[in-house]
Amino acid sequence: MAASSGRRPDSSSLAEVLDRILDKGVVIDVWARISVVGIELLTIEARVVVASVDTFLHYAEEIAKIEQATAEGDLEDLEELEVEQRPESSPKSASE
Amino acid sequence: MTNRYVYGIMNDDPVEFETDAVGGADRVYTVSHRRLNAVVSDIDTTDPEETDEDAQRHDDVLREIMDRDGGRAIVPMQFGMAFENDRALKNVLRGARPAFRRALNDIEGRVELGLKVVREEDAEVDDDAIEEAVAETLEPIAAQSVPNDLFSDRLVLNRSYLVDRDERERFDDAVAELEAEYDEDLMFRYTGPFAPYSFVDVKIGSQQ
Repeated sequence: MAASSGRRPDSSSLAEVLDRILDKGVVIDVWARISVVGIELLTIEARVVVASVDTFLHYAEEIAKIEQATAEGDLEDLEELEVEQRPESSPKSASE
Repeated sequence: MTNRYVYGIMNDDPVEFETDAVGGADRVYTVSHRRLNAVVSDIDTTDPEETDEDAQRHDDVLREIMDRDGGRAIVPMQFGMAFENDRALKNVLRGARPAFRRALNDIEGRVELGLKVVREEDAEVDDDAIEEAVAETLEPIAAQSVPNDLFSDRLVLNRSYLVDRDERERFDDAVAELEAEYDEDLMFRYTGPFAPYSFVDVKIGSQQ
């Protein structure tokens, strides 16, 4: 085997595809998929990539809002989450 | 077939092509709302059955998109995200727009790669030391990584990496280096590239 020839990843494994496709990726609640009338969307993002200090500050701001909104709630699981209700009322993010 | 099966969301130009699609359709196209394009095919249910064949087709469609124009970004859906109609789909594109935009931003120009490191049957190894060596070699090249289940006690490491397309060669070389170094004791199972399933943790629910 030649040294430093690199290594091509194997793309043919169905098991690896199933691991991901059945478990990961974007999930949309069935009600949001079948109806339009009277639906208010609730989006939860667990941010895996925090790109910059600005972005971080934006999340800190969002989290502060969540804390106010759920004064009695269990916040442990919310540390890395951003919850948006009616996205048009939340502050514009840097990427918009 | 009036329902829409969704593969993923992208913001580049719309696409349309013929292929074996999920649920028996033969055409993949896009449904758009303000420059966000959902990649879809027609289907006759909102609750598609999970089959190996359709899971493979879902993944194949995402790969086809990712290979276009030197590498497009697409936010992958979990299997089974079928919508009643275009209106319901556009409603979600509109309502979750910021989340889709941010997810697209995170994965632009990047692919997911998987690495499982398995101990050979009779080998005795120091798991912590190996984990550290792999991290030292691969983490500086990857944009991000997440751990996966260690479902066997012979599995020393199981991670997914988000890697810039431009760094792919370096990453491949680094994996080869590790493999050569631990040749006697460990097996390296290196897989992908996949759509970045593990790096788009977005859930969209509803309040009635």
